[in-house]
Amino acid sequence: MSDRIIFEDVSKFYGEILGVNKVSLSIPPGITSLVGPNGSGKTTLMNLMTGLVKPSRGRIQVLGYGTEVPEQLFKIVGYSTQFDAFPKGLTGFQFIYSYLCLSGRDRQEAEKLAWQAVERVNMVEAASRNVGSYSKGMRQRIRLAQALAHDPKVLVLDEPLNGLDPLARAEMIALFRAAAAQGSYVIISSHILHEVDVISDQVILLSNGYVVAEGQIQSVRSEIQEHPTQILIRCDRPRELASKILASEHILEVSIHNDGRGLLLKTRDADRFYLAMNELALNGIQVESIAPADDDVLSVYEYLIGSEEVVR
Amino acid sequence: MNRIWWAQVKAVVRLELKKTFFAKRGLWIYVLAALPVVLYIAYAVVMTNQQHQTSRLARRGEKTLSYQDLLAAKAGMTKQDVTALLGKPPVTFHWTETRPKGPDTSEEIAHEDYQYSDGVNDLYLGLVNGQVERVHIREGFNQGQDSTMFAGIFQFFFLRLAVFFGCLGVFMNLFRGEVLDKSLHFYFLAPIRREVLMVGKFIAGLLATCVIFVTSLLLQTAAFLWHFNPQAENTYLYQNHGLEHTAIYVGVTVLACIGYGSFFLVAGMLFKNPILPAAGILIWEFFNPILPPLLKQFSVIYYLKSLCPVDILAPPGAPPLFALLVSSADPISAPVAVCGLLIVSAIALTISGVQVRRMEINYSTE
Repeated sequence: MSDRIIFEDVSKFYGEILGVNKVSLSIPPGITSLVGPNGSGKTTLMNLMTGLVKPSRGRIQVLGYGTEVPEQLFKIVGYSTQFDAFPKGLTGFQFIYSYLCLSGRDRQEAEKLAWQAVERVNMVEAASRNVGSYSKGMRQRIRLAQALAHDPKVLVLDEPLNGLDPLARAEMIALFRAAAAQGSYVIISSHILHEVDVISDQVILLSNGYVVAEGQIQSVRSEIQEHPTQILIRCDRPRELASKILASEHILEVSIHNDGRGLLLKTRDADRFYLAMNELALNGIQVESIAPADDDVLSVYEYLIGSEEVVR
Repeated sequence: MNRIWWAQVKAVVRLELKKTFFAKRGLWIYVLAALPVVLYIAYAVVMTNQQHQTSRLARRGEKTLSYQDLLAAKAGMTKQDVTALLGKPPVTFHWTETRPKGPDTSEEIAHEDYQYSDGVNDLYLGLVNGQVERVHIREGFNQGQDSTMFAGIFQFFFLRLAVFFGCLGVFMNLFRGEVLDKSLHFYFLAPIRREVLMVGKFIAGLLATCVIFVTSLLLQTAAFLWHFNPQAENTYLYQNHGLEHTAIYVGVTVLACIGYGSFFLVAGMLFKNPILPAAGILIWEFFNPILPPLLKQFSVIYYLKSLCPVDILAPPGAPPLFALLVSSADPISAPVAVCGLLIVSAIALTISGVQVRRMEINYSTE
């Protein structure tokens, strides 16, 4: 059995409209974020991964299971969709309980698992209320509970933090991290880049149905040659340091940081710069930190896709 | 594996039954099922009222009459003959008609209407110039006529309209309704074979329609029997096959729900707009009697008509096409009809099974 989620040259067309095109991916365990503007193909990719839509071309395998056999696939997959509709007349608890009964579990086990899932998303008090009376954030959490209820190996979460307050976001992120730490595959779509940056082990950048980059964010950044690397140096005498650094030939631009307590430089060769920094006579300049300033998802996203639809 | 499937089917049925019975969009199905019951209640009220009038009439008569006495009255009898036979009529109505005979002359014709009763049946006699010209007996309990009326309402209203449209409302919404509500993904995200889901939904739809329409049928029968006196009721149920007919009607209703249910289930998966397939199936069913023999077999009404215990005949003088559409031209035996209908339904369900495997969640295109 494969230990990856594999897309082999997958395309999906809705009539003449492109969903995703020629996607080939191999997703390892951990938290993987799908990043892209609205309409870039994130949800289509998730729906393909869970068999809710079928590929027009190509093949998808989730840990060795084909997506055309839901009876096997959803034993190991939990999917929290963006669809905000629920079966009518169910309470939050019944929503999860019914889902577990549908998977063939007996009533006692389903009840036990449903309460556990409700507890994990802090919805115990509201569990006996009708889902129709829930706020957006509560509906989001109860969907997450449904996806988590059967303790799946693969968690597919479409915009899971939408509608959640900061505390709930933090709780959910902790939940995703815990799942990833146990070896689960957590696939998250988001267009809120700073969140993705904080939680992701790897990212898949999508634009107009194409995968434009994938992998760990730092390695993706290092492959973008046309944009010089930005490095932020925190020090007590930035102007002095700037004059010394400018002498190096691989430095393209140096500017004093807005707060006056550091400088921002651009270089085409970060490795050579770090070596040069070691050799530089600092003459008592106290350097607090040296760190890349643009190896986050936001920067990579701006370089590869453009800044029009980025949500900070 | 079968145990899991069964548990899954039960889970689907539990969810679907709740939705089907209490869905606001399905309220009209209850109205449809209740209509014939209301019709029979109205009929029973009218008949009971008539029976009271008949009893009163019999009590007012000079003689206590039997049904044989009423039958003895014939056209051509004189007024005196009638009075001698049946006594003085309790109800009479008379008038004089002036009819022109020539340019300046006219004749007067004396008309009299007599009404007698034996307490159950009414005799109407029309006399012209003291001689009986018209004889009409209105039978209080004409079970043959009542039975045909019940069969007519069952076949032409209940089966072809109420059950047909009721099944349309329930079965077409099993998948299509969920797509419109954008909630079908709830089922598709569960580790359940799509075919098992389809079977669960079908069983739920079948249980719901059977409960609604069999209850309606039993209430219709109760309302139909309401105006019968205990003796007539006994005769109808146990001697004139009333009980047997009721059991057959229940069976035919269940088979109708299976047949129409399977048709509408597959139609709901194949078509986005239910009006077109519903109209298509309705026309197909209506014109079934004039279809070629092979095509007739792909119809529900073809089998159901053969199973109905009372054959409906077109009234004399009806247009030939109407007569053809009404009558069961080539009835088949009951076992063949039941098997045929179940086979046609199984074919429809197999197509549904293939279709449900292909279904995708793409609400934005709906």
